[in-house]
Amino acid sequence: MSWWKAIGHRIGHFGRRSRFDAEMDIELRFHLDSQIDDLERAGLSHEGAVAQARRRLGSRLRTIEDARQAWQFRWIERLASNLRYALRQCRKHPGFAALVILTLGLGIGANSAVFAAVDAVFLRSLPFPEADRLVHVYQRHPKTPLTQTAPARLEDWNRLNHTFQAMTGFYAEDVSETSGDLPEKLTQVWVAPRFLDVWGITPALGRDLSPDELREGGAPAVLISDGFWRRRFAADPGAVGRQLRIGGLSPTIVGVMPATFQFPIRDADVWWPVPFGGMWAQPRMRAATVYFTVGRLKRGVSIAQARADLATVQSQLAKTYPKTDADLSADVQPLDAEMVRPVRGSVWLMFGSASVLLLIACVNVAGLLLLRSIQRQHEMTIRASLGGSRREVVWQLLTETGVLAVLGAGLGLAIAAAATRTFRVFAGSLPRMDEIRIDWRIALYALAAAVTVTFVCGLWPALRATAGNLNLRLLRTAPRHGTGRHRLQWMLAGIQISMAVTLLVAAGLLVRTLQEIGRVSPGFEVRSILTFHVSASYAETTDYRRMTERIDRTLDTLRAIPGVAAATTVEALPGIPGRAQREVTLVEGRSEDQPKLFADNRYVAGSYFETLKIPLLSGDWCRQTAAVQAMSAPRPPMVQAALVNRSFANVYFSGSSPIGHRLVDAGGGPGALISGIVADTREQGLNAPPGPTVYWCFSAPGPTPFFLIRTIGDPAAIAGTVRRKMKELEPARAVYGLTPLEEHLDEAYRENGLRAVIVAGFSISAVLLALIGLYGTLGYLVDTRRREVGVRLALGALRQHIIGRFFAQGLVVATIACAIGLGVSVLFGRLLSGMLYGVSTADPTTLGFVAVIILGGAGIASLVPSVRGARVEAVQVLRDE
Amino acid sequence: MPESLQRDLLPGTLYMMILRTLQDEPLHGYAIAKRIREWSRGDLEIDDGSLYPALNRMLVKGWLKADWGTSENNRSARFYRLTASGRKQLEQESTTFKRMVRSIQLVMADR
Repeated sequence: MSWWKAIGHRIGHFGRRSRFDAEMDIELRFHLDSQIDDLERAGLSHEGAVAQARRRLGSRLRTIEDARQAWQFRWIERLASNLRYALRQCRKHPGFAALVILTLGLGIGANSAVFAAVDAVFLRSLPFPEADRLVHVYQRHPKTPLTQTAPARLEDWNRLNHTFQAMTGFYAEDVSETSGDLPEKLTQVWVAPRFLDVWGITPALGRDLSPDELREGGAPAVLISDGFWRRRFAADPGAVGRQLRIGGLSPTIVGVMPATFQFPIRDADVWWPVPFGGMWAQPRMRAATVYFTVGRLKRGVSIAQARADLATVQSQLAKTYPKTDADLSADVQPLDAEMVRPVRGSVWLMFGSASVLLLIACVNVAGLLLLRSIQRQHEMTIRASLGGSRREVVWQLLTETGVLAVLGAGLGLAIAAAATRTFRVFAGSLPRMDEIRIDWRIALYALAAAVTVTFVCGLWPALRATAGNLNLRLLRTAPRHGTGRHRLQWMLAGIQISMAVTLLVAAGLLVRTLQEIGRVSPGFEVRSILTFHVSASYAETTDYRRMTERIDRTLDTLRAIPGVAAATTVEALPGIPGRAQREVTLVEGRSEDQPKLFADNRYVAGSYFETLKIPLLSGDWCRQTAAVQAMSAPRPPMVQAALVNRSFANVYFSGSSPIGHRLVDAGGGPGALISGIVADTREQGLNAPPGPTVYWCFSAPGPTPFFLIRTIGDPAAIAGTVRRKMKELEPARAVYGLTPLEEHLDEAYRENGLRAVIVAGFSISAVLLALIGLYGTLGYLVDTRRREVGVRLALGALRQHIIGRFFAQGLVVATIACAIGLGVSVLFGRLLSGMLYGVSTADPTTLGFVAVIILGGAGIASLVPSVRGARVEAVQVLRDE
Repeated sequence: MPESLQRDLLPGTLYMMILRTLQDEPLHGYAIAKRIREWSRGDLEIDDGSLYPALNRMLVKGWLKADWGTSENNRSARFYRLTASGRKQLEQESTTFKRMVRSIQLVMADR
């Protein structure tokens, strides 16, 4: 009988289908053998019996096929009938269905919208071929925060490594292009050799730069952006081959880049190759920090391998160039992660909040389903007595939940589509946020969420509804009032409240952070400052003296306007984050081995401090205006006077006075005299403590500095007068970007605000869902105890006492859940700590406020059903029985 | 004679007869076919090729349950037995069937 055993073993290994076939085979063989035995017994010869039995049975395969079909067909049929039944249930109980769909729609919608952001920021690769091989390569120096590298070192890295296909670097600069009728300001990106090789793309029109154009002294050639090509040449293919005029050179346009090439610098107009050689090849230039460096790894090389490889290369260089390279190390990071670093925390926070919200929605729906299943117990019993197995009834219930979840996911997708559109508008300036869109991936995600939701919140109620012997339950007509079941429902209500509390705490802390930032005294005047630009051409930078005179004349005109208290120019607005500190050096008096000086370098007109009301602590204001030497390069001339802030004096001149020392910017030169010390201000951002700052007194750091005026009244009200006066003075120039400084600051903290608003929105939805859950649970409890209440009232119980007992039950659960939620918030609060300012994660104000809101809400949600429960008329209840 | 009777068998009667053979005890497929032949005194012969698909359809409908067991000659065989709903189905069908047969007999009676 080893044949049977073989089959038996195979049965264990194969799937359902082959198992079915094997079993049928055994059955048919048994049939055949029995038939043969009978026929032989009836007198037929063995051969005859076999032949006749075979003929009667017909094709065994065919029979098996027919038998199998009985099952397959049934599966689809059952699903269809389940679906029909589920839809009928929806129609029969539209209120219940709508509530579930709405709750799940909210949860899935919020989750899908945030997933769209996660997808754009973290999951989608950068728009380059094999983008996972692109990395950011940077140098680290223990004493500087700068990570750009020198061209010479870039070439060494590129030459000596074994793990990169190629490395390149770039840096951007504003230049003036003068081949047209009017000079035009362009954003020019200087690029190291191998630029397009690393990205792995080719120009959409024309060609890549040739080796000759990448040679020192070769023919000047540039690539232009799609945007510039359309703007300037109206998308004329003949633009390739034309010449531009930049900085005294006439580069030829050799190619137009595709419109999708918006990286590394989104508004780049021109890419100009920097050949390696000449000045950059000199050993002393190895100290320069120029290039943001990007590399393309060879196939199959890991980040760790590249890191180890570069470490070896850099240790070699440290021996060859001990003076510049000894303290340096090289590091490698995936480029995509590097790009989205600023928003990473926010996006994960939102995803976390949205997931908690979805979880609350699930628990809420699970509670609803549980209540429904109790109401439907009678129906379940009938189904069971009609021969439905438990598995079938569970599937039926899951199908019903699934239908609701899929409808909810549909609603959720609509919500998500609307949300992402809003998102792109408000967060478009954040990295990669403009790539957020609802596509099939998001739809798939929402559908997966619906399926998960079906099992998470549907399976448990379905199993409970069908637990025990269904047939026996027919005897009872009223729902069972087990205390165990109530405990479960209270637990579900409590879980929702706890989760809502954690979200509300997070939102509260973020809002408190906004408040704290708003409350910070920045150290400079914010309220009555109006900012704007006056149009100018970059061509003016060829004559700094004229440009400075023009800007000073404008300042004088502005000061003469009635209602203007003071006017100044500034290179960068105060209080807006995002500037790196740069190194400055003292001309004399400090030896080589002393720590380097790092400071926020700000170019401001002498009247800056008066305009922004920054007090002078010692010394004198900038008396000297900058000595403008004739300069031809687009670099600011040597500034002769500077002020430093108190931090600078304290950190670098502890004890002695910096006044009278001469400072040099990275560029070198005779240096500016430090004439005084001013008070610390939060120039680097309202949420950043003041750091060492050097103010270089120069009113014309560029052709279009920010003009700042302090007004006596409302800053916006004077805008018209400013325009009119400027028109009289400079009819050819436009005044643009008239914005109060306060608005700029608001804009800079928009991410904080957006984050707080979104998390607040999630948490409010969560709290509402949780309170509805509490209300529903208590309401159900009250309904099931109508009779008991009636009896007790008839026996003389006080109505207030009954209200009190119901109410207390709701409030006790809410209080316990709230306490647990607060505990969890404090435990996990450090996840938020990087986004907070001025509040601790266990901020008592926030926690107290949350507790008040939750308990207040829970009080209302409990009181309503309690009162309703006690309004029972004893006589009525007894009559109903 | 058996062939033609088989072809013209009233729709649904195959199920009904299978249910009937299983009324008293569980049987395997071959025994079901044999019993129908014996009870009809050899007039009805179920096509073995359609017996097993029918049994499977009845399993799906929930009228029958199947368990593996040992046959009289000590081999493993699948035994079919009635479920509660199968029993109910049998009751229903046999009532309707008997009434219909009586009615047809009345119409067809020699007059």
